[in-house]
Amino acid sequence: MRRRGAFTPYLFLAPGLVLFALFRVYPLLEGLWLSFTNARLGRAERVFVGTANYARLFDDTRFQLSLVNTAYYTIASTVPILAVPLLLAVALNRGVALRTFLRGAFFFPFTLSVVTVGLTWLWLLDPVIGPSTYYLRAAGVPVRSWLADPATAMWAIILTTVWWVTGYYLVIYLAGLQDIPRELYEAAAIDGAGGWRSFWSITMPLLRPVFLFVLVTHVIGSFQIFGQVFVLTNGGPGDATRTVVQHLYETAFQNFFHFGSASAMAWVLFVIILAFSLLQFRLLRGHTQY
Amino acid sequence: MRDATPRLTRRRFLEGAALGATTVTLGARRASAQAKPTITYWNGLTGADGKIMDELIDQFTRETGIRMEQQRIVWADLYAKLQVAVPADEGPDLALIHTVEVPHFASDGILEPMADATTSAKGFKAEDYLPSTWQGGMYQGKRYSIALDVPQHLLYISTKVLKEAGLAGADGKPKIPGTRDELLAMAKQITKGDTYGFSIGTTNPGRYTWGFHNLLWQNGANVYAADLKKSGLGEPSALEVAEFWSAIQNQHKVAPPANANCRDAFIAGKLGLWIAGSWNFTGLREAKVEFVAAPVPKIFKQATVWTMPHQFTFPKKKAVDAAKRDAAWAHIRWMSDHVAEWTLKAGQVSALRKPHSDPRITGDPVFRVLLGQAAQWQSGQPTPKWVAAENLTRPVIENVYIGQKPAAAAMGDLARQINALPD
Repeated sequence: MRRRGAFTPYLFLAPGLVLFALFRVYPLLEGLWLSFTNARLGRAERVFVGTANYARLFDDTRFQLSLVNTAYYTIASTVPILAVPLLLAVALNRGVALRTFLRGAFFFPFTLSVVTVGLTWLWLLDPVIGPSTYYLRAAGVPVRSWLADPATAMWAIILTTVWWVTGYYLVIYLAGLQDIPRELYEAAAIDGAGGWRSFWSITMPLLRPVFLFVLVTHVIGSFQIFGQVFVLTNGGPGDATRTVVQHLYETAFQNFFHFGSASAMAWVLFVIILAFSLLQFRLLRGHTQY
Repeated sequence: MRDATPRLTRRRFLEGAALGATTVTLGARRASAQAKPTITYWNGLTGADGKIMDELIDQFTRETGIRMEQQRIVWADLYAKLQVAVPADEGPDLALIHTVEVPHFASDGILEPMADATTSAKGFKAEDYLPSTWQGGMYQGKRYSIALDVPQHLLYISTKVLKEAGLAGADGKPKIPGTRDELLAMAKQITKGDTYGFSIGTTNPGRYTWGFHNLLWQNGANVYAADLKKSGLGEPSALEVAEFWSAIQNQHKVAPPANANCRDAFIAGKLGLWIAGSWNFTGLREAKVEFVAAPVPKIFKQATVWTMPHQFTFPKKKAVDAAKRDAAWAHIRWMSDHVAEWTLKAGQVSALRKPHSDPRITGDPVFRVLLGQAAQWQSGQPTPKWVAAENLTRPVIENVYIGQKPAAAAMGDLARQINALPD
């Protein structure tokens, strides 16, 4: 009886595990195998080519540029993605007027698809007929084409992303803030601590697990950025906003359907994301004690 | 004693009647299905032309009884889907693709060749078509497609913008530029504040390869040299085009930024002279934009006009269903016979010559311009690498357009990239 009971949890897990193995593990391993072949969509035979696809990445200047761009986006977007929702969450947690409405308003953009967000901002930032162009010009501010200038295009994408995901991280931060016992703030106040000191000495340390979650999910998402870039700039101007996933997509689905090369890119990206995730866990590990 | 003869009760009568009706209905349906198959049809007509195609297909079904199940997917995704689906024997019975896609799909074994005997038996003859469109269906001596229409460039001139710039005659008609000097002079006169003089391309003019190709062809240059082995973009004639591409934005400052939506700008009265595809003009009319259509100006040595014919193709099947193939042929035949309707409603000039003399078409000023350009039509080169080379071209010409990279260095770099494309 006990033996049979020991299998029961696995039986409950089995459907999920089977689906996970079928739709996650198998494609992952198939992709790994493809990366060592000359696989091309439409070509029946696949020849093992060893590490040739990986070696070719060293000569692929566009892949290298896309790696640099992706890293730039990840680093540059991290501070606003961490800070903007946190500041809003702290403000909303203090019980400002219209709190529920504001929470809904901030969360609303996240309910939109990336294509909707991209097209909306594409129109807003249109250099000829866009509202931003119109109002800036009316205000006497020199107008520029934000998405067609290599110096500003990536920042326009970051702005769009921050606007889009702030509501999501805001909700997570709010949940974290509401988990912090009120007594700690009361005790700190009795000891004479001001708001600023309470924020740095209580709020920030106790939000460490939430920070870790936000940081890890943001970094993973940033390395995989595709939708916003595809809709807003298509990697342009030139290759100024070309990211790894876009380069991978074009290699796999637009330029000769080279699945072998594209799979090699995907695995390089996977290793980079894994390394960063492990690093973040290491840097931010530690227990949160109340 | 009970009667042994079965009695016809009301229940038995109803059961029998229901069974009979079901058998007759199913039988009739089966017979009908055998006679008139349903065929699958993939195309990328995602714009206003898609609705027109729906109307024509409804009419085709009413007249022939052949039903068509359409999948309408944006062109780039359609091509990826064909490449995946056909080897898995999940491709459609009929697909509409662009001419430049024929060579690589043919060389990858995605398309079924059309035997000359079958093509002529179905009534498709070279002499009925404009030569470039008929030839566009060939790859390495075999026919893979039948042309439907000829999307092409033309020059749209905004009546309102030109009037405001003082470029209209006493009769209110805007001036029409025929040469590069005239075009640039007018564009400079128009450009003021947020109104631009000249652009080429629907959206993202900086990376509009079809416009760049049009200019290359006007200057006798091309993506590949005549032998289709090495890129021709390092040649001085191609460099001259790249320099012009840069100059309209950086030197003459008459063109909108690289990521502008030129169609919206034209509709909003912020763009005066616009070289763009013929598929835009029905939409401009619906938007009640006042414009004049004119031939693409001769910006370089010859007034070549870019075209990209749509072609009907048969994606390969492991076992061809003769009835479905016949039905697909019937649709191509029907569309060819009704192509004048397609031209009038969707705004695309037919590849067939016959409708070109239809008074409804010749009476329309825009169609007259489009038909008048026929002698200057040119399409992409018949190489499987054309599409990949085009993808490489976009970011390079955008860098040239925004002045990020000198034309000579960019063209040299692009030629090297194209030459390095794998076979």
